[in-house]
Amino acid sequence: MARQAAVLAAVALFPAAGEAIYFRNNISWRSAIAPSEMVTVDQARAWGDTAIWVDARPDDEFARDHVPGALSLNEDRWTELLPQFLAVWSPGKKIVVYCSSLSCNASREVARRLRKEAQLSEVFVLEGGWEAWLKKNR
Amino acid sequence: MKTPLFAFILSMIMCLGARAELKWEQTSVELHPAPNDKQAVGHFKYQNVGKTPVHFKSVKASCGCTTAQTQKEEVAPGDKGEITATFNIGDRTGTQVKTVTVETDEAPNQKTMLTLKAEIPQQLEITPNFVFWKQGDKPDTKTINVKVGKDFTVKHIKVTSATPNFEAKVEEAGNGQFKINVKPQDTNKPVASMLTIQPEDSQKVFYATARITNGPTAPMMPFAPAGQKPPGARGAPAVPTAPAHPTAPTGQTH
Repeated sequence: MARQAAVLAAVALFPAAGEAIYFRNNISWRSAIAPSEMVTVDQARAWGDTAIWVDARPDDEFARDHVPGALSLNEDRWTELLPQFLAVWSPGKKIVVYCSSLSCNASREVARRLRKEAQLSEVFVLEGGWEAWLKKNR
Repeated sequence: MKTPLFAFILSMIMCLGARAELKWEQTSVELHPAPNDKQAVGHFKYQNVGKTPVHFKSVKASCGCTTAQTQKEEVAPGDKGEITATFNIGDRTGTQVKTVTVETDEAPNQKTMLTLKAEIPQQLEITPNFVFWKQGDKPDTKTINVKVGKDFTVKHIKVTSATPNFEAKVEEAGNGQFKINVKPQDTNKPVASMLTIQPEDSQKVFYATARITNGPTAPMMPFAPAGQKPPGARGAPAVPTAPAHPTAPTGQTH
């Protein structure tokens, strides 16, 4: 039995090794994010006015609907929208960034750029994004 | 013991052979758009090497910034075609990886993932692109670091403040790096200014923001664009002094 398992594992090793070599330059489309940088809808709502909600989705999705009071900050118009966001931010405010399943990892990218480029702290990504907020609020 | 093992391997090989009707020339494309390109387009070519027609059930891009189009719904045996994936670059920088999931009727749940990888060139890396002082703080100089991208040559940069409330001086740090030293006139009142950073001999402009903040209780009014609501119930907004859009500023030039 053990020998059979070993043979099967050895057989599986070849395609696995081939795939690893073939895709060696491919990076994951979902960048890793520390659990401490994620926040749930309930946690974020509990922050009340000390949080700024940032909508990382494209303009048309934001125009259709968004978290009340949220600011639009997406990478399509980052250069134009960032100064508008920075005019509202103030020290001590927590930033909650969300996107939807349609806009993939946009919130992670926006959060990363706010931390790296604007060097802001307390930037969080909303777990479950827009859909999670809708589920709790509609 | 040998018979079940042989049967297992044989069934695996037969499964692989049966689904290999649509043969992709490549499922991963790497693109290097030019600095001012708005889009990056990837072409994924295929051929139906099977004996029956293949139908596309769905072609879905991983995010709103990417669209994908098929030339046809049905691919006859022997036919060739391609799926075109268009990635709208917007203001994205660095390595961007977008995927397109193609579902066909070759086998139940037959899905192929096409990967579009784009390296967006960045002429200037500006860190931080935001400097601020709290109202009443000592008006010390704060520094913005500018690094020239690896494929670019920039010998000088020009920095302009949209308002006279901030003074911005450029210091050449060598090795393709610059320092922009920003100093507010005073920190008595909330004020914001856009700093326009322009590389010499380049039409492209970059921006940074300098601001005197007034604390968490009364944030400044955002430069609200059409259709965007400013955050409600967050205190009385103050009047902004920075421009709504990064237009050509008037003020000091250094």
